[in-house]
Amino acid sequence: MLRLGAGDTFHGEGILAITKGLLQSGVAYVGGYQGAPVSHLLDVMVQGKAYMDELGVHVEACSNEASAAAMLGASIHYPLRGAVTWKSIVGTNVAADALSNLSSPGVTGGVLIVVGEDYGEGASVIQERTHAYALKSSMCLLDPRPDLGVMVRMVEEGFRLSESSNMPCLMELRIRTCHVRGSFECKDNIQPAVSTRSLMEEPAGFDYMRLAHPPVTFRHEKLKGDARIPAARSYIVEHGLNELMPGRRHADLGIVVQGGLYNALIRSLQQQGLADAFGETDIPILVLNVTYPLVPEQVADFCVGKRAVLVVEEGQPEYIEQDIATLLRRRDIQTPLHGKDMLPLAGEYGVEVLAGGIGAFAAKYIENIGSSEASSSAQTWLAGNRERREAVARRLGTPLPNRPPSFCVGCPERPVFSALKLAQQETGPVHVAADIGCHAFGTFEPFSMGHSILGYGMSLASRAGVAPMMNRRTLSIMGDGGFWHNGLLTGVQSALFNGDDAVLLIFKNGYTSATGTQDIISTPDDEIKERAEDKQQSLVDKNQTIEATLKGLGVQWMRTVTTYDVERMRKTLTEALTSDFNGLKVVIAEGECQLERQRRIKPWIAGLLKRGERVVRVKYGVDEDVCNGDHACIRLSGCPTLTLRDNPDPLKVDPVATVIDGCVGCGLCGANAHAATLCPSFYRAEVVQNPKWHERLLHGLRGAFVRVLQPA
Amino acid sequence: MEQNRPITLLVCALGGEGGGVLTEWLVDTARHAGYAAQSTSIPGVAQRTGATTYYIEVFPVPLAQLGGRRPVFSLSPVPGALDAIVSSELLETARQVGNGMSAPQRTLVISSSARIFTTAERMQLGDGRADAQRLLDVVKAFSREHHVFDMNAIARESGTVVSAVMLGAIAGSGLFPFPREAYEHVVRGGDTSAPEKLGKMAAASLRGFAAAFDAVNAPRAQAAFVSSVMAGEGNDAPPQAAPLPAELASRFPPAVHDMLALGHARVLDYQDAAYGELYAQRLGRVLAAERVADPAGARGFAITREAARWLALWMAFDDIVRVAALKGRASRAQRVRREVRAGEEDLVKVYDHFKPGAAEFAALLPPSLARRVTAWDRGRQARGLSPWALPLKVGSHSVFGMASLRLLASLRWLRRRGSRFAEEQALIERWLAAVEAGTREAWALGHEVALCGRLIKGYGSTNERGKHNLLHVTDELAGRTALPAAARATAIAAAREAALADEGGKALDAALTAHGAAPRPVQAQPIRWMKRPPSVKA
Repeated sequence: MLRLGAGDTFHGEGILAITKGLLQSGVAYVGGYQGAPVSHLLDVMVQGKAYMDELGVHVEACSNEASAAAMLGASIHYPLRGAVTWKSIVGTNVAADALSNLSSPGVTGGVLIVVGEDYGEGASVIQERTHAYALKSSMCLLDPRPDLGVMVRMVEEGFRLSESSNMPCLMELRIRTCHVRGSFECKDNIQPAVSTRSLMEEPAGFDYMRLAHPPVTFRHEKLKGDARIPAARSYIVEHGLNELMPGRRHADLGIVVQGGLYNALIRSLQQQGLADAFGETDIPILVLNVTYPLVPEQVADFCVGKRAVLVVEEGQPEYIEQDIATLLRRRDIQTPLHGKDMLPLAGEYGVEVLAGGIGAFAAKYIENIGSSEASSSAQTWLAGNRERREAVARRLGTPLPNRPPSFCVGCPERPVFSALKLAQQETGPVHVAADIGCHAFGTFEPFSMGHSILGYGMSLASRAGVAPMMNRRTLSIMGDGGFWHNGLLTGVQSALFNGDDAVLLIFKNGYTSATGTQDIISTPDDEIKERAEDKQQSLVDKNQTIEATLKGLGVQWMRTVTTYDVERMRKTLTEALTSDFNGLKVVIAEGECQLERQRRIKPWIAGLLKRGERVVRVKYGVDEDVCNGDHACIRLSGCPTLTLRDNPDPLKVDPVATVIDGCVGCGLCGANAHAATLCPSFYRAEVVQNPKWHERLLHGLRGAFVRVLQPA
Repeated sequence: MEQNRPITLLVCALGGEGGGVLTEWLVDTARHAGYAAQSTSIPGVAQRTGATTYYIEVFPVPLAQLGGRRPVFSLSPVPGALDAIVSSELLETARQVGNGMSAPQRTLVISSSARIFTTAERMQLGDGRADAQRLLDVVKAFSREHHVFDMNAIARESGTVVSAVMLGAIAGSGLFPFPREAYEHVVRGGDTSAPEKLGKMAAASLRGFAAAFDAVNAPRAQAAFVSSVMAGEGNDAPPQAAPLPAELASRFPPAVHDMLALGHARVLDYQDAAYGELYAQRLGRVLAAERVADPAGARGFAITREAARWLALWMAFDDIVRVAALKGRASRAQRVRREVRAGEEDLVKVYDHFKPGAAEFAALLPPSLARRVTAWDRGRQARGLSPWALPLKVGSHSVFGMASLRLLASLRWLRRRGSRFAEEQALIERWLAAVEAGTREAWALGHEVALCGRLIKGYGSTNERGKHNLLHVTDELAGRTALPAAARATAIAAAREAALADEGGKALDAALTAHGAAPRPVQAQPIRWMKRPPSVKA
């Protein structure tokens, strides 16, 4: 898909279109750190390594967002177009230091930072705006209208804007924009002039102005206002990056909207009868595909002479609205300005929310709109939604249970929380410093564990203040993803340096998994996967990078436990929480990501069966007449395949536990049954397909004897 | 269909159900059929079995007739402005309806009747499942038209995933102006060869597609589906009758015969005829009491009926002998083969997980010996050791495994002489006495106490907890003559529900104190004490 050229039409997801846009812009290097919703950008580039080499584009999967941002330093001296990507706001926070040091000297080659604005429905991080970073570091901020053609154009323009202003450009893409399916007319990809195929002969000469170091930083700070922002503004105007949609009927009103919200705005205008299905609007709209810097002349020209202007800006604080208010006041333009007074301060701007604000705006400024057909229909629609929600709630009586994401079937991390639940029955409850990653699902039922989440890889650091104040030891949970992202330095190094009495539980599943199992330095090598006789086994133990690193740092107390061995995990955790050793205690929970294992296993099994070779399939089950209907097993597991069904025994009323298809036979049910002394209703079944002849014989003989012993 | 606005469809699925593929299919189908379309989604980490949604808009006028104009599509579903909702899970359907998505004048709702229970529903001590009938009612009440059928079943039968079934349902509903062929063309991946020549996956997908297409397309078949779903809901089906000895039948009113038959059969199968007779006698006492409280039998002898149920279950209390007997049966071996979907030629090895502790063995020993065993085990725990238990993994497919199961099962005779048997009988008598006394005092009171039999179930700690709760409820509430009988009845009902709310019994204690009764005495539980010395000496 990335190879498409002029004349071809691209059909696919927004984030992939952006990726294509980068290649059409002659990008020379790409980096980043995966995270929803932008993971795909880097994933396809890493997978498309061969083609990238062909173009001479360097692709780097960075260890975190800071290293990705630092990579952009290449564009300070050299005419290299560079792009990096990550999930915002969290990623931008991590990258902030490098971004400041990049923005101060400014760039020669165009720089585009594609961030997933993880805000609103479906978001998985704290709700803050990336906008603040653009303001404080003087970076341009693009927020393209969610139309694939426009998005791709803004990528190309973004690089030129960056070069003409020496400012790095941020491009924020909301979740649904990244996953929108549409199409656009392609151009040919451009091979960068300087690339991995045509190298630079000499480094740039020494130039102090390019360093983020006093005294030149003071000059940089002036340049931002005197030269760069003005340059950016003129480029924005000259190349029409922002779009002006004329109004058919109410030219004396206006709406200023972030590009990303354009579609939602149009649909809400439709609902109010103020636009048609093709975006023909009654009220003029200024679409800001660039939300920073604003072009004062452009905004002023739009506002002057109008009876009122509404600013549609998602999230808080309302930077754009404040910016506009200031520039209007300075120019003494008296046009009434509305925004957060008619729209909610916080939260995603969906069509229903916007329709409310538009309604208020129209009611205030459009003559007798209240009596119009369209407006009354809109009123009915909004009121109908409200009433219906209440009616359904009344009918349902109790609110419906939530369905948060959870550990996959057979996930190696689930058993550790089972063990932790059991361990705390012995040690008493402990303070659990949780972290970002799949293991954060342990904060949901049935485990509900975790007192705080302070950021990716921050768990060990976040207990530093708690632990000294607490009688019992505290437990810090970290994934290998978080460990390499920064837990190693912010947590482990600090704990060792201060000689802290701490317990760290590392989930070593071999990948940064929550956003799609990306490889990391402790991922088992491909050739090891190739060589493995039994593809079903976990292979993470083959990579000892984490253990070696910790030893090297001087960790004295370290235990590695296979996660599915609940009993041993329970003992080890109890030991860590109660031992006399007062330094840093690290428990490494070893078990390869089940998603990855299944990707390996499924084709392998299929192959074996095709060739008629022996295959053993394991599935667990529950004896319906032995199950006591107390569901303690579920409270200790939560596996999606361990569920309920009606009790077949007419005397009993409570549903029995049952294991449904999809069970991968990970063994947790059995391990829990022993570790927690659950009811004896669990069985482990091994189904042997294409058994060998002697096996068959043995089984036959056995069967004969067994049947003699068995009653009906 | 109005020509000036897009057709809007919300798809609800769980992570990993192929919703992404479904939307891709729909967008491609639209493209091949020559219509403008757009889809969006919010996968995030919902890919991990959480609830997620996909949203599709299609403009009803072919691109060719739009004269170069391009519709502006919404990226998010608009509550009350949807033409259709298609969902693979009933509760998620109801959730979206509850979010105001479905408009009774406009929205067609196609939902699977299948329930995939949430963790919150599954982890309850009793029955935490949402009332499916209620969910169905909501779907019906707030949709223009609804089709409800088991999409998972169709997917299973067709050997495909639910996404293909959903596509078939959408096509069958005629929501979009695309011909059936347009959908099938995309599912085939452009491969126009005959079904038998298609790839396995594609063929299976087409089967699922076709089945769902017909299910939605043919209204009569549809109605059948729905009614079958209705029938399937709830486990209030009348228990199938077991043969009831005439002599026994004559001693009890017909209203209780079905339960009596089941209960008597259970106790008989558990021990012996004498034990069965004891069961009948005990139930007789309850009946006598109820006849006093409700001579006319106006309440259908509900107390005796419930007592018949719970008494049988309690008398047939679970112990290793019982478990061995159940696991040793041939019928069980066959059931396992079915459950694990083993083929004719496949070998199945079955390993059973047991972990009998000191208590389980003591149960079969005479009281004097039993006391010594339990005392020894307590001693262990006092020394900070974990209670003694024997983790076993018995291969019931093997000769040795089956032999040992049968040996254990043959120890019935020992059970009668065992310490636990005596204890259980004593406790049963205490409960029965409470039922009788309560009934004679006020029918409602007796009924509530009888229902408390539900608290007794399972093995080990679960069983202990249940007994402890039951006795405390009866002792504390049933006998409190200070309170009027009616008040006690309601209090007991509340306590019973509370007892099933959480393992710790927090809710139960709250309920008890709320009704002026004492909370349960705290149970001693050994924990490994770990006290960090303050880093700074005072």
